Amino acid sequence: DYSEYPESYKENTNKEKLILAYVENYRRQYVHLFRDRKPLFLNPLNECGIEKFVCTTLRPTLLSYKELYHWQGCAEFTADYLTMKQLEPPQELPLCLLSPSTILKRQLGNCFDFSNILCSLLLGAGYDAYVVSGYATKEICLTDESRQICPLLQPKEEVKKEAAKPEPRKYSVKPPRDLRSKFIIKMEARKKKEEEEEEKKKQQEEEDKIAELEKPPPDPLYGLRIHAWVLVRGGKREVPEDFFIEPFTGRSYPPSSTSFLGIESVWNHTNYWANMQNCASGCKDMSFDLMDTEKWEFMLAGSDQSQIEIPDAEEELYDMDDDEKENEDEKHLDMPASWVLPILVTKNQYEMRCPQGKKTILYKKAKLEKYANYLLKDGLVTRLSVYTNNELTDLNKVQEWYENREDKLVTRIHQDGLITEDFVEGRPRSLQQHLYKANNPGPEAERTMTFFHKARVDGLCKREETPAEITEHFINRDDFLYLRHVLFGKRQKKVAPATAEGTPRPILKITEKFHRNVSRPASEDVAEQVFVLHEDKIQVTYHREDPNITASTRDFFKPPNAEEKGGNLQWANDMTSTFQVNPHGAPSKNLSIYENLLMLIQTEQKSIQLVRVSEEEVRDILMDRQKEELASELAISVYDTERNEKAKKHRKELERLAMEEKLRRQEMEMDYLAPFLAQIGNPDKINKSQAFKLKEDCLADLKQRLIDKANLIQLRFEKETSELHKRQQDYQQKQVAMTKEDEEQYFNYCSEAMFRIHILELRLNRHKQMAPHKYMQLEQKLRQDQRLSAIHSIFG
Amino acid sequence: MSRLYDTVEPSVIDDEMLKKAVEEQGPKEEAGKIAKQEGIDYCDVLSLRLDFRNILKVDNLWQFTKLTKLQMDNNIIEKIEGLDALVNLRWLDLSFNNIEMLEGLDKLTKLEDLTMYNNRITRLENMDSLPNLHVLSVGNNKIDQLDNLIYLRRFPNLRTLNLSGNPVCDDQGYKLFVVAYLSQLVYLDFRLIDEDTRQKAHSLYENKLGELMHNEKQAEVARQAEEDAEKELMKHKEAYVEHLNTPLLFESMYKEDPEGMKLSLLPGLQDMLKDFQDKFVDVCLKTFEYGMKGYGKRCTELAEFNACIEAAKSENKRQAVKVIDEFDERKKKLFSELLVTSDAVDQEQKMNEYHEDVNAIWDVLMGFEMQLVDQLEETIKDFERNMTDMTSQLVEYIQGLITQLRDLENAHNEKLLEMCMSVLEKVVKNEMDEELPDDLRMLFVDKDTIVNAIGASHDVHLIKIDNREDEIVTRSGSWLTGCLQDIQAGECARNRARVVEISSYIDHLRDEIDTLDLPEAIA
Repeated sequence: DYSEYPESYKENTNKEKLILAYVENYRRQYVHLFRDRKPLFLNPLNECGIEKFVCTTLRPTLLSYKELYHWQGCAEFTADYLTMKQLEPPQELPLCLLSPSTILKRQLGNCFDFSNILCSLLLGAGYDAYVVSGYATKEICLTDESRQICPLLQPKEEVKKEAAKPEPRKYSVKPPRDLRSKFIIKMEARKKKEEEEEEKKKQQEEEDKIAELEKPPPDPLYGLRIHAWVLVRGGKREVPEDFFIEPFTGRSYPPSSTSFLGIESVWNHTNYWANMQNCASGCKDMSFDLMDTEKWEFMLAGSDQSQIEIPDAEEELYDMDDDEKENEDEKHLDMPASWVLPILVTKNQYEMRCPQGKKTILYKKAKLEKYANYLLKDGLVTRLSVYTNNELTDLNKVQEWYENREDKLVTRIHQDGLITEDFVEGRPRSLQQHLYKANNPGPEAERTMTFFHKARVDGLCKREETPAEITEHFINRDDFLYLRHVLFGKRQKKVAPATAEGTPRPILKITEKFHRNVSRPASEDVAEQVFVLHEDKIQVTYHREDPNITASTRDFFKPPNAEEKGGNLQWANDMTSTFQVNPHGAPSKNLSIYENLLMLIQTEQKSIQLVRVSEEEVRDILMDRQKEELASELAISVYDTERNEKAKKHRKELERLAMEEKLRRQEMEMDYLAPFLAQIGNPDKINKSQAFKLKEDCLADLKQRLIDKANLIQLRFEKETSELHKRQQDYQQKQVAMTKEDEEQYFNYCSEAMFRIHILELRLNRHKQMAPHKYMQLEQKLRQDQRLSAIHSIFG
Repeated sequence: MSRLYDTVEPSVIDDEMLKKAVEEQGPKEEAGKIAKQEGIDYCDVLSLRLDFRNILKVDNLWQFTKLTKLQMDNNIIEKIEGLDALVNLRWLDLSFNNIEMLEGLDKLTKLEDLTMYNNRITRLENMDSLPNLHVLSVGNNKIDQLDNLIYLRRFPNLRTLNLSGNPVCDDQGYKLFVVAYLSQLVYLDFRLIDEDTRQKAHSLYENKLGELMHNEKQAEVARQAEEDAEKELMKHKEAYVEHLNTPLLFESMYKEDPEGMKLSLLPGLQDMLKDFQDKFVDVCLKTFEYGMKGYGKRCTELAEFNACIEAAKSENKRQAVKVIDEFDERKKKLFSELLVTSDAVDQEQKMNEYHEDVNAIWDVLMGFEMQLVDQLEETIKDFERNMTDMTSQLVEYIQGLITQLRDLENAHNEKLLEMCMSVLEKVVKNEMDEELPDDLRMLFVDKDTIVNAIGASHDVHLIKIDNREDEIVTRSGSWLTGCLQDIQAGECARNRARVVEISSYIDHLRDEIDTLDLPEAIA
């Protein structure tokens, strides 16, 4: 249906006709000069069957999404938003090139449509971008990425930090003499090297073999498949050097890539260039200096000068031959304005990205699924499945990315039966990462939880668990504790089948380790305390004094049930054994040892309590997680005016209130004097007699209206009463002959009529009461009215 | 005053009283029993209460060095004394006594809470060494000077002050005065100071306070400058070149030289003297700069040496600790095995294994120590050599400069002699135009006198210069020997301590297995 397209789609302007004539001329010369080359893509038909020059189909546009300010965002958006359609047949140029707006509406296009839109976006963002028409491999043309590694799986380039070698210092001690045989060391090193080389060779062979196997089958149309992509030239927007963007995938390639086999022509919104270079070896050695007329044949002279040359260097030149330039410009034809409708993408469309908000891409041994935000109930936006084979049957690892989750989950990785969940800050217990076994998610199983220790009062940063152990790591605690390790024993079997929560696991041993507390002497600063509960033993190791290599230790053997005795604990000398580093130091007094023991017994109780609290916390977290997974609610930002129902309602309500307020104000401003002023022709000044008259008229009018209203109510009242009266009489006459329904109807009517009469009566009474008030009010107002101030003036 | 009627005999703090107090206030229950058996050392006591005992004189508290809290309220103490040993005291209560003067608190630098309620104190003074004072209670005393309260400005941590019941409180402006001048206070006379009062006080005393603060600031700046200068001088002294950056040496040459002073009045000599001084001071300055440079070099050298030694020690320690930790693991395992086995052969074998392991670890640890000793010895020798070279180089150079000084003095002396000769000639011939002062004229009686005078002056000067030189040489020499001796002694002590430590550790290990409660062995 052509009718929906604007005029510019349906016909050519004079200028466009002129440029088409130019194009025809250019083509004729080209065909004449290069008889064996394929035709150029110059003037395809548009959706209305009208010839249009390809340069005018580009429309540089900068959309208001921040991601689209960078080429990565543009490329990704184009690749996601549109569905590709391959050229039919693949070795011939398409006949049509549709406008970007049509393509965006249909969300379907071939490589030229893709490139056209991408190039428009890039030009809008300030890149020096061109559409390239040329030849590419089958994989590129058909978007077959199954031989490529998924970009998410590509190993990140690690910035290797050279460990600063300690400078040899003047007084560094000499290392002890190495007494090993140099010869043997040398021989060993040689042997090792040989082995390594062997290994390397083997690996290389293996890799070669795999590469051979994975090579795509030979393509009969190799080198003939037509493709279009985008060239971004270096120089603008801090792009260091030229590169290609493949529009189907949104990936960038260097010009030396073997996937692109040849170039026929390039164009942007200002000019069109045909390639004059040989493409026998692909695009590897091609120069993209479009100013070089040896290598590129331009179509419109002059219009591209400012585009190509670096303005800074040429500025002075420009100034000098400004006049000349102008003259020259006049001679050349410049590009007509674009005929296409503006490129528009609504926020909703932008957020949906892919058609229906879903997209699946197959990579080498991997599958990538993308979903729009808020599309899936659980907030999943990306899922990457990694397989061990090329047929994608043997699943190895699944990585999922989530967004906007109420429980702050951002990624989840399943691998080797382990699940790793990452969270962002803001969870109630500051959980950062949770690693557990997929087949045993319950408590007291193997798991590791990492926490945001800065957000926690206890400074816990990591808790590792196995069925018989808990290890907790702490950071920055006031009591210098950095590790607590708990060893559990087996639950004693009881007669009653106890639940997991019922009987806590018996604790065998608690080990607590502390950092050095410099405010205390090292020999009194505990480095490690071990509560061996099943042996009623407490082992304390103190920190090492600075020059010492041994640490003082003290073991306590506490009598059974010592914790219940408190201060009444009997002291015996064999309850402790000590190793003191400094043999000459005074031995500790029994009193302090005794007090120490009492304190340790208390600490032991506290530690046991803390272990139980930890276990409880793990259970709580797991419970919370379970609940959250079931609910899987999505958070909606308060700034998201579309999705946030509450905010929307609130906004609507505010709007409504504002409207009402406005109406009310209008009413308020209704002027009671206006009609009377109009009667006397809206005079600028009102004299005394006029003022009197106005006042009188106004009051009389109100009086009349009040009386009218009273009469009206009275009238209705009387009418109702008489009607009722009539019906009553009627009823009394026919009462005997009446059916039950009629009777009921009559009673209904009666009660309703009575109600109406009552209301009217009330209204009348109220009116009678209110009327004098209203009258007084108006009089008051009139008295204060500035316009009638003449009444009170002494001079008439 | 109430004590006037007290009939109880005043008492003194004696051992019996202290013992009783300590025991009463010490640990209770089982701990108390242990304490009684063992006896409590006074130096371990942390808090002591000696109230209502009619104590007249504070004495015999020197053993309580760890004491943090001392309560001696409600006695009849008249003088604060005998507290100098209680350097850890944080809380001192001397309320309800007869003290008339604040004194004897100089050593209690950690004091935070001082209570002097109900005494006879008239002035706040002698508390400059208590920077941590937090709470001060001097209510019911006889303080009557408002200005005296400004004394409390020096306690930046003072939050609570009680002055009620002093004559000074009768002053109308008392409260606002205190609030204005002691802005760090939070509570005054048992009450929180509210914002309202604070503002009122501030606006009332704004000008005076500003002036006071300005003065305080200036005093602080001056003090700082003085301190800096002192520090700088200390540095110069360590470089052996103090005062050489000033003309002090030159001036001192003339100070003890009466002849020279007289001669300096000779006409025309002023210019020469000035010239001489300039040159002399210039060389002095050079000496100073060189000395400072040498000092800097010495410092960096020493720091470098210490850093390297420390690095070597810590590396050695790391290795040893690793070995010990590994051994500990083995030991724990072995012990736990030993405790469950009851096979005599197995036990025997394990015991042997353990003893061998202990011997091996002794070897390893001692080996480490020997290695470290060798390494350090070598490094120390290097350092010694370098330092000696450096010092002798410095001394030589400085000696060269001082020779220059001497040359300057000689040249000056010759010139002076020449000049005096010509003047003498003139005097003899009575051709002198200008009048000479009398005592100077006395010198020009004959040639011998004048030559003697000049000679004496010259000698004095040379002695001064020589002395300065000697001083530099001896001081640098003695510093070097001292430094090297310290290093040697430190290394020696370290080695001894380490060897003792290893031996005692090994002994402990051997004891441990002997005292192990082995299960009954079955042969």
